Amino acid sequence: MRRPSAPLLLLLLLAALLALPQVLPRFHTYVAAIVLLTALLATSLNLAIGYTGLYQFGHAVFYGVGAYGTALTLTRSGMPAPVAFMAGPLAAAALSLVMGMICIRLSKLYFGMLQISLGSLVWAVVYRWYSFTGGDDGIHGIPLPDAISSPEASYYFTLIVTALCVFTMYRIVRSPFGKVIQGIRDNPVRAASIGVDVRLHQLASLVIAGFFGGVAGSLFVVVENSVFPDMMFWTFSLEVLIMCLLGGMYTFFGPFVGASMIVLLRVFASVHTRYWGLILGTILTLVIIFLPDGVLGVFVRRSPPKEDRGA
Amino acid sequence: MRRIVSFLALAMSMFCMAGRGVAGDTIKVGFVDTYTGPATTFTNDVLDGFKMAAEKINAKGGVLGRKITYVTRDDKFKPDIGLTMAKELILNENIDLLVGTINSATALAVSDLCRKEKVPFLVTFSKSDKITGEKGNRYVFGMNENTEMAGRAAAKALAKMRFVKYWIAGDDYEYGHAIANGVFDHLRTLNPMVQLLGQSWWKVGETDFTPYITQILAAKPDFVIVATGGGGMVNFQKAAQSTGFNRKVPFYQHTAIELSTLMPQGKNAPEGVYGTANYLFYYPDTKENKAFVEEFRKAYNRYPKSGALYGYMTAEFIAKSFEKAGTVDREKFIDAMEGMTLPSPVGPMEMRACDHQVTLPMFFGVTKKSPKYDFLTAGDIVSVPGKDYMPSCAEIAKARAK
Amino acid sequence: MMDFASNLFSPGTLSQILVGLSRTTILFIVSSGMSLILGVLRIPNVAHGSLYMIGAFAAWSVIRFLGGGLFTFLGAMIVAPLIVAAVGFVLERGFFSYLYEREHLMLLLLTFAFMLILGDLVKIVWGPEYRSVTVPAFFQGSAEIFGLPLPWYNLFLLLVGPCIAVFLWLVINRTNLGKIARAAAVDGEMVGAVGINVEWVFAFTFVLGSFLAGLGGALIAPMVNISLGMDHSLIMETFLIVIIGGLGNMWGALLGSLIFGLTQSLGILVWPQFGVAFPYLAVVAVLVVRPRGLLRSTW
Repeated sequence: MRRPSAPLLLLLLLAALLALPQVLPRFHTYVAAIVLLTALLATSLNLAIGYTGLYQFGHAVFYGVGAYGTALTLTRSGMPAPVAFMAGPLAAAALSLVMGMICIRLSKLYFGMLQISLGSLVWAVVYRWYSFTGGDDGIHGIPLPDAISSPEASYYFTLIVTALCVFTMYRIVRSPFGKVIQGIRDNPVRAASIGVDVRLHQLASLVIAGFFGGVAGSLFVVVENSVFPDMMFWTFSLEVLIMCLLGGMYTFFGPFVGASMIVLLRVFASVHTRYWGLILGTILTLVIIFLPDGVLGVFVRRSPPKEDRGA
Repeated sequence: MRRIVSFLALAMSMFCMAGRGVAGDTIKVGFVDTYTGPATTFTNDVLDGFKMAAEKINAKGGVLGRKITYVTRDDKFKPDIGLTMAKELILNENIDLLVGTINSATALAVSDLCRKEKVPFLVTFSKSDKITGEKGNRYVFGMNENTEMAGRAAAKALAKMRFVKYWIAGDDYEYGHAIANGVFDHLRTLNPMVQLLGQSWWKVGETDFTPYITQILAAKPDFVIVATGGGGMVNFQKAAQSTGFNRKVPFYQHTAIELSTLMPQGKNAPEGVYGTANYLFYYPDTKENKAFVEEFRKAYNRYPKSGALYGYMTAEFIAKSFEKAGTVDREKFIDAMEGMTLPSPVGPMEMRACDHQVTLPMFFGVTKKSPKYDFLTAGDIVSVPGKDYMPSCAEIAKARAK
Repeated sequence: MMDFASNLFSPGTLSQILVGLSRTTILFIVSSGMSLILGVLRIPNVAHGSLYMIGAFAAWSVIRFLGGGLFTFLGAMIVAPLIVAAVGFVLERGFFSYLYEREHLMLLLLTFAFMLILGDLVKIVWGPEYRSVTVPAFFQGSAEIFGLPLPWYNLFLLLVGPCIAVFLWLVINRTNLGKIARAAAVDGEMVGAVGINVEWVFAFTFVLGSFLAGLGGALIAPMVNISLGMDHSLIMETFLIVIIGGLGNMWGALLGSLIFGLTQSLGILVWPQFGVAFPYLAVVAVLVVRPRGLLRSTW
């Protein structure tokens, strides 16, 4: 990236976000927190799909497992909060590893659909295990440590965690590891031929993506004090995928932008109209017609590798 | 780069745009409910019932000189959206109190939110018994029956019949299991001779019940408790009709005799199905009920269903409680509503003080063809008074203490 | 579960198998449409469920407009899918035809957008109330098969399914249009280079796929509550069936649908509480053993 004003812009953005609760009403602070954690989720998904080229169609299950892991630890075990906030993402990462090992042999669409099937089984267990997970009622009134329980404090906590995680992912993507997985995305055969362990790198990428997806889930617990099985349902996976595509899956901040747009639209369009679907659908249609690589894709003149359509 | 900046500016401005909500001289009621998807048919009734009562009250001068106004937000049957919309109504729209929602998970989450924010929340249509039971609190009120209540009412009626071998079937979600357990557990306490032969659970939204029906018939139970909800009601009844299930084994569904279940099927609904319901437009044939039905038909060109009763009485309770409190203060509103009894189309309704659950009669009947209407109606109606099937205050206190 | 052995050869099982087969019909019809669209055009069409839903509502409208009776019903089974095919035509000519060169994951954005838009349009046109279509008198009631009831309408579906399968096979393998479509699925450029107007082939494929989705919706209308959630109800199963069967492969769609329909109805016998999970377990089993689906895919 040769845009000298980019770090400056980011710092300005960060400053604005820090000042937000002092300037905006409470509801907007809450929405901003939701935007941030959703953007974190979308960015984590993009690690798998945009940077590694894996068709991660079931990402919401990691979000849900992260959230439930944290929620269950906070409500059922006697453990202190920091343990709970690690338990969720670690559970998500572990699940990601297990699911990855099962799915990794499959390519593209098949990978995605198998992941969704496995994710659906996880969802079904959570949904039916009423005595442990609260079933389709979910879990409410989750106790949080006083330091982060107020609306302002939960916002700042979300902001700090999101910023740290996004920064970490950014560094990962620009590291040698990041270059390798992009190489694998573009041409796995070539990568293998120069000695790269393709499977290992893909699995690592999946685990990292699952971990940060789980962090986003834990943040949801902080902001909403509730968890629901819907969080891991395939319709939400599809929504997060749409956020990445909308914002531009070949850029780092694309998913961030996509998530922001969709969350803001969803909240504020609903306030004005019953037909929120029409509005969002129209916007998405316009984007795909005029912005073929997503919103931020206009800044990246990148032609994605053409699939091998021949025999 | 300019484009990023302008985009961010646009986003920020859109973000700040929805700042409204003037605290004025109205009583502002916020509805968070599902207005998308199959549940909409029920929630529209609630809203229309509410509107009808509110317009009448406003025409007479309103409440304490203020008009009742309302705003609605669609939660799309998703709890996370419901929570966000509830927060928007409370923080942004500055509503005086909340009404909603048909999704029990959302209702529980919003109930917890309202407890923290100290906003009264009147729950319409959600049937989880936890709302006024173990998860109840000072700020939440139940404006309709719940699964525990329906279960007890049905069990009372079923215990009088001579069935011994039961089968349980239903939609595989919390409501389904709650209703089925509610009925069967209470049945067993009333009649220890009953046996459970087996259970079948299908996914919510199942369309073809034939495989389940054949399995149940093969097991030869005396009676089946079918725990379907919402859209599943019609689907199951259609399957029962086409397989003749209702003629082979008697079965019960909560809301089987309701208009929402029977009207879409016209003359082809199955006969002989046992059911419970909180509202039937043709029973009781009292002056109050007839007046209510006529008013609703004139306003909306259709017969009122249960939701209309809930919405209507919600408006009435809101108006009378503020009047009794003498001021638009949320805490005084709650104190005023506790223990209040109001006349309704189905008789006097009491808002019980110990758990904030409204007391209303439950009707138990059997579906029968009607000479008067194009759809089936309930026959052999038995009216069970609210007090006879509600959990006692002591039981509620025990549940909440856990 | 202990009853499994005794159940295995009972009338109950045989009856369940028949029921499972009749469920297969709707799944097959909708999935074959999806298989065409995903296999030939490579469009991951999440709006396929919306087309299915429009088929059901359209059938309701046609029957309401023309009155009851057997012939009206059969007429609706043709008119409603044609309406949906027309919608498909508009979508293809108006949008997809300009966007085939796009990264096909991005096309998911477009089909998702259509799912949202069509969902709201259905709400605007037909409103939120439940609609119901009655099974025509000719099909009401049920036959006694092995002592257990099988509704006549299910039997009707059991017959319709193979007819549609044969019809599709003829279209795809015996007509020129079908052969060209299959060729275009594998190598569109080559087909174009030979002088064939690939555009119209693609349009035809999408329209046929939409017709099938609408037909599925119309056929299921008498059995269900026609409501606004229908667009989400089948879409996941449809994708899974197409994946395990093989993209663009009609027999694959049939095989996948059979697996789905039968595992569910037999699963109910084996473990009534978790019968719904069996098809998903079957999908996992298939994909682990045959990572590219059971039968040949076009890509």
